[in-house]
Amino acid sequence: MTLAVPPSASAADDASGPVDDAVTAAVGRLSGEFAGRVGPQLVVRVVRDCRRELGGSPVGALSELVERLARYRLDRQIG
Amino acid sequence: MGYVDVTGIRHTLSDGRVLLDDVNFRIGEGARAALVGENGAGKTTLLRIIAGDLTPEEGAIARTGGLGVMRQFIGSVRDDTTVQRLLVDLSPPAVRAAWDAVEATELALMESDDERAQMAYAGALAEWGDAGGYEAEVTWDTVTVAALGVPYERCKYRELSTLSGGEQKRLALEALLRGPDEVLLLDEPDNYLDVPGKRWLEQRLLETRKTVLFVSHDRELLARVADRVVTVEGGTAWVHGGGFASYADARTARHDRLAELRRRWDEEHQRLVDLVRTLQQQAANSPDMANRYHAMQTRLAKFEAAGPPPERPPEQKVAMRLRGGRTGVRAVMAEQLELTGLMKPFDLEVWYGDRVGVLGANGAGKSHFLRLLAGQDVAHSGAWRLGARVVPGFFAQTHAHPGWQDRTPVDLLWHGEPGRPGVDRGRAMAALRRYGLTDAADQPFRTMSGGQQARFQILLLELSGATLLLLDEPTDNLDVLSAEALEEALAAFDGTVLAVTHDRWFARSFDRFLVFGADGRVYESAEPVFDESRVVRAR
Repeated sequence: MTLAVPPSASAADDASGPVDDAVTAAVGRLSGEFAGRVGPQLVVRVVRDCRRELGGSPVGALSELVERLARYRLDRQIG
Repeated sequence: MGYVDVTGIRHTLSDGRVLLDDVNFRIGEGARAALVGENGAGKTTLLRIIAGDLTPEEGAIARTGGLGVMRQFIGSVRDDTTVQRLLVDLSPPAVRAAWDAVEATELALMESDDERAQMAYAGALAEWGDAGGYEAEVTWDTVTVAALGVPYERCKYRELSTLSGGEQKRLALEALLRGPDEVLLLDEPDNYLDVPGKRWLEQRLLETRKTVLFVSHDRELLARVADRVVTVEGGTAWVHGGGFASYADARTARHDRLAELRRRWDEEHQRLVDLVRTLQQQAANSPDMANRYHAMQTRLAKFEAAGPPPERPPEQKVAMRLRGGRTGVRAVMAEQLELTGLMKPFDLEVWYGDRVGVLGANGAGKSHFLRLLAGQDVAHSGAWRLGARVVPGFFAQTHAHPGWQDRTPVDLLWHGEPGRPGVDRGRAMAALRRYGLTDAADQPFRTMSGGQQARFQILLLELSGATLLLLDEPTDNLDVLSAEALEEALAAFDGTVLAVTHDRWFARSFDRFLVFGADGRVYESAEPVFDESRVVRAR
């Protein structure tokens, strides 16, 4: 399934090349991992929230940080 | 560029002795200042005060530019400190703090993966980036490639104890010279460096635009690098504004001037005292003289209150009496000797009375060779033996004597050891006095300065009755005067001397040279050979 990351004003402000890659990659992996347990839109929203909150992090570490935090939050969602 | 301004520093030792008083000097931007003085004069203490490790009793340190400090112990690190930790410790405070925060948050993440821990970790990484941590890691990679020949990622967890003393020094120097700090304090940066390493250091210090204050006992390095000399002596410090070539004359002139000022003060003081006495007698007979008597009393009181000028610093007297004794004509013989994995087999004959300088690259096996001759367990093949009546006495490079650390010199002398009878306190104190170690007689060995430990080791050689001296870098920690005393003592020594040294001045006093080449070949030379390159080994 192809996922589109919905644009949002704040996210667009933050976004840059590597950062977008980080979000896209995290959404791709987590959607597969949580398929059937949470909806893809929730994954996207959680990932984007995480990305925004981790906005000051070094670009090189951003993918790992975003994915890790999003996974933790999604786990909490499904109890 | 940065500078250091030292104003009115006073420091008192824990036993109440004033080590430093009224120390004032400035190391201007881009200067390369040498800090010299006798062993125990307070050079390292002064560096520690400038570095902020010690708070002075009085006075202040002002400086601009970041401060990078290389401490004396680098080169003899034997604990589990890693390359990474050393590089972090040599970084600016902001990088160090950011690193510690990243480490702490990583540990917290291992305990709990919750949101708070993750956000703390992300925050620490952001701080690491803001502090220049990523740029520092790029520099560290350049540093390890230059110093060790391997990228940072491949050696960051390596323990410093697996590196030679020279490699440890080189690593720290590369980090500081390539780092952002504009003022460098280097405590004996040349110790453990072989001669190519010392030449490299000289060149780098001449090229750098940083402000450098360094302690060294190597006269060739001092002469090439220092553009001013700060001397710690007599409990204070003074600055010679020229290079080391004119330093000895400047110091003699200063001492003469101080002695002359003191003589004049003493004369004037005596004249005033005599006048007061005369006027006192006259005032007793003539009330008219009472006013003049009181005026003179006041003048004398003011004169005494102003105090005398500083005294000429006492000259350190070191009298080493290495006696030795007649041995067989052949003192050391080796046939096809090979220290396993270090060198190719070689033959050697050393004759009674020879002075053999053992030169060559770091890591070529020179120290192992001396340890073998000293009777220690060193893996080897081939044959070697000592001649008749040859008694080896060994001076260890790193002063590694774990059993001595908490014992005092008097205690060590009193108890003796196999081959060296104990002596009573009176004789021990007399011997220590000759070596300028009276003040250190009752302090634990570990608290003595490197130079004091070195002189004490030479005293033990004197008392052991050794007829073959095996000296591993004996001048490394000796101040210039003590090194000269050692050279005189060796000249008068009745026996044979083999000395590993990277001290170019000291090496020139030897008759013949055994060179351990970087290619594993061991060969003799009539002249000192200092350009053997570093031994390359698989890492």
